[in-house]
Amino acid sequence: MTHLTLSNICKQFAGTTAVEDFNLEVEKGEFVSFLGPSGCGKTTTLRMIAGFEVPTTGKVTIDDTDITYQAPNQRNVGMVFQAYALFPNMTVAQNIGYGLRIRKESKTAIKERVTEMLALIHLEKKGNSYPHQLSGGQQQRVALARALAIRPQVLLLDEPLSALDAKIRVSLRAEIRAIQKKLGITAIYVTHDQEEALSISDRIVVMYEGRIEQVGTPFEIYNFPQTAFVASFVGTLNTAPAEVVDPAKHLLKIDGVQLESAEMLEDKHAGDKVTIAIRPERFNFIAQERKANILDCQIENITFLGSVVRIQLLIGSNRFYMDTFNNPFLELPKIGDKAQITCSREAVLVLKA
Amino acid sequence: MRRGNRIWSWIVMIIGILYFFLPLLATFIFSLKAKLGVLSFQAYANVFHDPAFVYNFSYSVLWAISTIVVGILLFVPTAYLIRLRVPKLRSAVEFITLLPFVIPAIVFVFGLVRTFSHPPLLIVNSPALLIAGYTVLSMPYMYRSIDTGLRSIDVRTLTEAAQSLGAGWGSILFDIILPNIRVAILSGAFLSFAIVIGEYILAQYLAKPAFAPYMAYQIQQKAYEPAAMAIISFALTWAAMGIIALVGRGNGQAQVGGGH
Ligand SMILES: Nc1ncnc2c1ncn2[C@@H]1O[C@H](COP(=O)(O)OP(=O)(O)O)[C@@H](O)[C@H]1O
Ligand SMILES: [Mg+2]
Repeated sequence: MTHLTLSNICKQFAGTTAVEDFNLEVEKGEFVSFLGPSGCGKTTTLRMIAGFEVPTTGKVTIDDTDITYQAPNQRNVGMVFQAYALFPNMTVAQNIGYGLRIRKESKTAIKERVTEMLALIHLEKKGNSYPHQLSGGQQQRVALARALAIRPQVLLLDEPLSALDAKIRVSLRAEIRAIQKKLGITAIYVTHDQEEALSISDRIVVMYEGRIEQVGTPFEIYNFPQTAFVASFVGTLNTAPAEVVDPAKHLLKIDGVQLESAEMLEDKHAGDKVTIAIRPERFNFIAQERKANILDCQIENITFLGSVVRIQLLIGSNRFYMDTFNNPFLELPKIGDKAQITCSREAVLVLKA
Repeated sequence: MRRGNRIWSWIVMIIGILYFFLPLLATFIFSLKAKLGVLSFQAYANVFHDPAFVYNFSYSVLWAISTIVVGILLFVPTAYLIRLRVPKLRSAVEFITLLPFVIPAIVFVFGLVRTFSHPPLLIVNSPALLIAGYTVLSMPYMYRSIDTGLRSIDVRTLTEAAQSLGAGWGSILFDIILPNIRVAILSGAFLSFAIVIGEYILAQYLAKPAFAPYMAYQIQQKAYEPAAMAIISFALTWAAMGIIALVGRGNGQAQVGGGH
């Protein structure tokens, strides 16, 4: 059942359009990320769900109740901020219990819930500490507990890990995901970090300049980016201008080199200009006889990235990257060598304009 | 070159300290000479035994406390809302809060008298007008202390965090904003206290009992007691400053940390 719905949301600030025609349906218990570069409207969209901004047009509903114009303190929505925003004058326990105190719950009920929340975030011993006595990661866990204590219908997180260092970022994002799954709570997570979005989400909404570019599972977003923007923003992707040669046979041409794709091209005609995209890890050196997608190339550079080796090569005048797993018996060509590489038909994506 | 600078800065500092403390010291010593030939606290005893002193000083304390309460009620929400909603107005408001420094008190009090001595605004005799006037005079200290306090916390994010937890404006102000700017409010309050206790013109021209007019009157009558009063009011002001410093230190840690 659809839990949270955003329909035809537009938001204009004096002169600028921050969000345009945003439509999304979120299932109960789903973890959805808004992914996009800074300034693309992620926070603005989240703030309209929280009630801090009112859409210029459009509608926000939770469980079929229209909350578009409801004040933030009338909604039952939990929010986690990048800057933690813990109340400095309150202890950890008081912070977590604050929403319940506002709801006039009994002292014992509050105490019980606070204890439960402290256990959830593994900070049982920190109830009487003040926020400034905690590390950044601990503070953000308290902020999460505070938002969850009120049993919100939706949990909103705006770049909650951006202020933390890399190690804690990775462990805390796993913890956030585990807690979200355990409670079965619907969560919207804003981030500009594609790795974060890919690792944590059920679905990702990729945004660019106030618009949705693509909505899909991490698998779909990574493997089948539909627009040039998604392709370039998520992961490393080789893109090149191509020309349709024979739509029926899925044949394309980049810079004179013929390529076969698995994509349906029936709406295209011979001579149409398109953009193709290939992930670096989809290339292989040619090991056996092949009929299609034999690409002559010249090796420009080789970089070791730990578990993978990234090879920079030229096909015609287009520069591509190719990734192969690193192993001690790998026989790599040398810089300047000519080589032949290949990829499957399925690896050749044709992007929407 | 450097050493020369060092010596000069010491000399300037010592001159400054002497300039400030010598008259105070002289007044103090003078106040101890009420009894011929010996140093004594006789003048202080006389002051405290004079019912008129107690009467006038109590009124001044009452005015000061009222001014502080009105100031807090008026300026905390104002400074808060300006920071939250119309930050563009901040420099304009800052300018307005400085006006009491620019407009002489005597001009201000005649403005008050002229404006509020005809119906329908016939309130020139009401203590409310005096307190309102004092609130204006203390505005540069009170408003600016509060605004500085608000700058040290992330007003907007804390407000939104509280809102998302269900808090209304009253809860936000009393649970979140006030406790986090307590030290700032306190320092504004003590400065206001000092201003009101020493204020002469408003009390005199609005004809209200107060310490400063009483002291001015005493100066014409007596020698040692006014000196003792000057020292007493100084001591009170310094005690107030000391309390600010102490409270400020005690809560310094609670002020930092948290959202930024
Ligand atoms: N209160 C505001 N007033 C004017 N413009 C705003 C306001 N909030 C956001 N914007 C603009 O809206 C656009 C989207 O901002 P935002 O939602 O914060 O992006 P993101 O969170 O993706 O970085 C930006 O161009 C930003 O400058
Ligand atoms: Mg943002």
